[in-house]
Amino acid sequence: MDTVLSGLATGFGVAFDPFNLMLVLVGCFAGTLIGALPGLGPINGVAILLPIAYGLGFKPESTLILLAGIYYGAEYGGRISSILLNVPGDAGAVMTTLDGNPMARAGEAGRALSLSAIASFIGGTFAVILLSLFAPLLAGFAVTFSPADYVALMVFAFASLASLVGKSTVKTLLGATIGLMLATIGIDANTGVPRYTFGIPDFLAGIDFLIVVVGLFGMAELLTLVEHQVSGRLKSLPVDRSFVRMADMVLCRWTIFRASVIGFFIGILPGTGASVASAVAYGTEKRISDSGRTFGTGDPRGLAAPEAANNAAAGGAMVPMLTLGIPGSGTTAILLGALLMFNIQPGPMLFTQKPEVAWGLVASMYIGNVALLVINLPLVGLFARMLTIPQHYLTPLIAILAFIGIYTIVGNPHDLFLITLLGIFGWFLRKLDFSLAPVILGFVLGSLFENNLRRALSISGGDWGILIQDYKSVTLYVLAVLVVAAPIWLARRARRMEGDSTPERG
Amino acid sequence: MVDRIFAGVLLVVSLAYAVIAFTAIKAPFQYDPLGPESWPRILSIVAIACLLVILWKPDTERFGVARQTWFRLAATVVMLLAYAELYEPLGFILSTILFGTALSAMLGAGMLRSLIFGVAAGVAGFLLCVTLLDLNLPEGELVEWLLDPAPPSEGTS
Repeated sequence: MDTVLSGLATGFGVAFDPFNLMLVLVGCFAGTLIGALPGLGPINGVAILLPIAYGLGFKPESTLILLAGIYYGAEYGGRISSILLNVPGDAGAVMTTLDGNPMARAGEAGRALSLSAIASFIGGTFAVILLSLFAPLLAGFAVTFSPADYVALMVFAFASLASLVGKSTVKTLLGATIGLMLATIGIDANTGVPRYTFGIPDFLAGIDFLIVVVGLFGMAELLTLVEHQVSGRLKSLPVDRSFVRMADMVLCRWTIFRASVIGFFIGILPGTGASVASAVAYGTEKRISDSGRTFGTGDPRGLAAPEAANNAAAGGAMVPMLTLGIPGSGTTAILLGALLMFNIQPGPMLFTQKPEVAWGLVASMYIGNVALLVINLPLVGLFARMLTIPQHYLTPLIAILAFIGIYTIVGNPHDLFLITLLGIFGWFLRKLDFSLAPVILGFVLGSLFENNLRRALSISGGDWGILIQDYKSVTLYVLAVLVVAAPIWLARRARRMEGDSTPERG
Repeated sequence: MVDRIFAGVLLVVSLAYAVIAFTAIKAPFQYDPLGPESWPRILSIVAIACLLVILWKPDTERFGVARQTWFRLAATVVMLLAYAELYEPLGFILSTILFGTALSAMLGAGMLRSLIFGVAAGVAGFLLCVTLLDLNLPEGELVEWLLDPAPPSEGTS
């Protein structure tokens, strides 16, 4: 407890620095704007802005605070287009449309927006509190992890990724493997042997993380926008003056609490972010409280559940990222990559070695949550106006931002071609129902995975038995098998009980 | 069908990756039991196994992209490549004006509005990024000549 309090004191000291405080606000504001843009989800927003934020040359903790603010804000802003347009910005916001949009169509857009803002705030704050309590404990435990345990942890991470993300397990696994394979390009750090460089000097240091992120996310997103191009403006429902009532809060209080718990713990699972959390929370809530069959027709509880879960998951995903160095979602994988660019290796030692980064980030999340609520309640009309930005200006703008970002960092026009090509590749992957988060997770974790495996086998002198010698690694392997087997078993059982209420996994 | 084609292409790439892993990568002497070659070997086997499963049981039949959309996508890619090609020679402002105007016009904005958008994006983007945020963007020879007395931004390549 003492470490938590003193850590938080350090963190707030960093976060209340006027400059960092401004960055939190700017990040939250920009993030909400991006999240509100139709079709542009949090992960794409963070991906496009990452190189620019990096290029500004701030201190690591400041850059990370800015990026986390953008991430947080984008998760917040995503609900606006879901509610008013019925167009979810990303998979995590799909569930919000189910009850949010009917409420807005019934002339209660203001009520839906304010209720979801409060649900998001509670979910997010709940997650940050749990994060600050849990993270140091988990970090303290993770210090005892041996390389072999880390290998087991990676296996567990990829198993839960394959089982919970995307439509097809094989495709998710392949996506992660593609990411791992991309990470092997460059000089092997242990031996100095070049791998897959084909004598091209640009590849010796490996493919730049930023290029992969901007290409696979930003540019692929741009091509998707062009593909689904609608000319003219989207028709947005008007924001009226209705507001959340006390009765709504009373009705939703347990819903929000349950959804926050679900969201946080699903967020912790490696690889599973907001999309799974909001789907599970909505499904659970529907099973528990949908007695009058009002879900899907504008029930406030159906709106509050996914929103609280979604923001709680955004906080939960930070736990494995900060304590183990294993990101809990695609977006935290990008944040992890940002840390690596500053030569900061996230992991159990982060809280003790770089307290200003770890705790500063945590404290900025507290502030960001409050700031988002304050920004969102009065300014929602302004954000709603972002929805009417015509796509034919938005699309070129994404490309221009991506080019600025990459050119500023790398300063090499060849990389502009590389991001375009990676964008085409990413677009094909998306069209074929691959999700891109596993690719980036694989890419970020590649060297960590390989180095720990090699270290473990160096310790044992080449005996593979070391991988299953420890109770910790054995437990993790068992969990990995469970996380793959449980959904299959549950689905089979649900089919046998001819239950038609199984929530669709997003 | 598209699944099979894509998986087939990736299979060729993975096989090449595997061949390199199994033959070409070697450390001059042994540092650790695995060496630099084992990890790529494991990965290539996993990738090939996944690809074989997809080839055996594909689940995406067709793209569902209309021919017109293909043209639009191809045109976008061409514009992006041209933008990348012209980025340094023309400088940020000119190339962005061209790219912004062309892409927004193709996506359905009116000619005049696209032009206004392109010019605004080019000029405002440059001023914002270079003077305010101190980022490094190519000025292009033409612009350098026009803005001669302006202080050069640091580290311009």
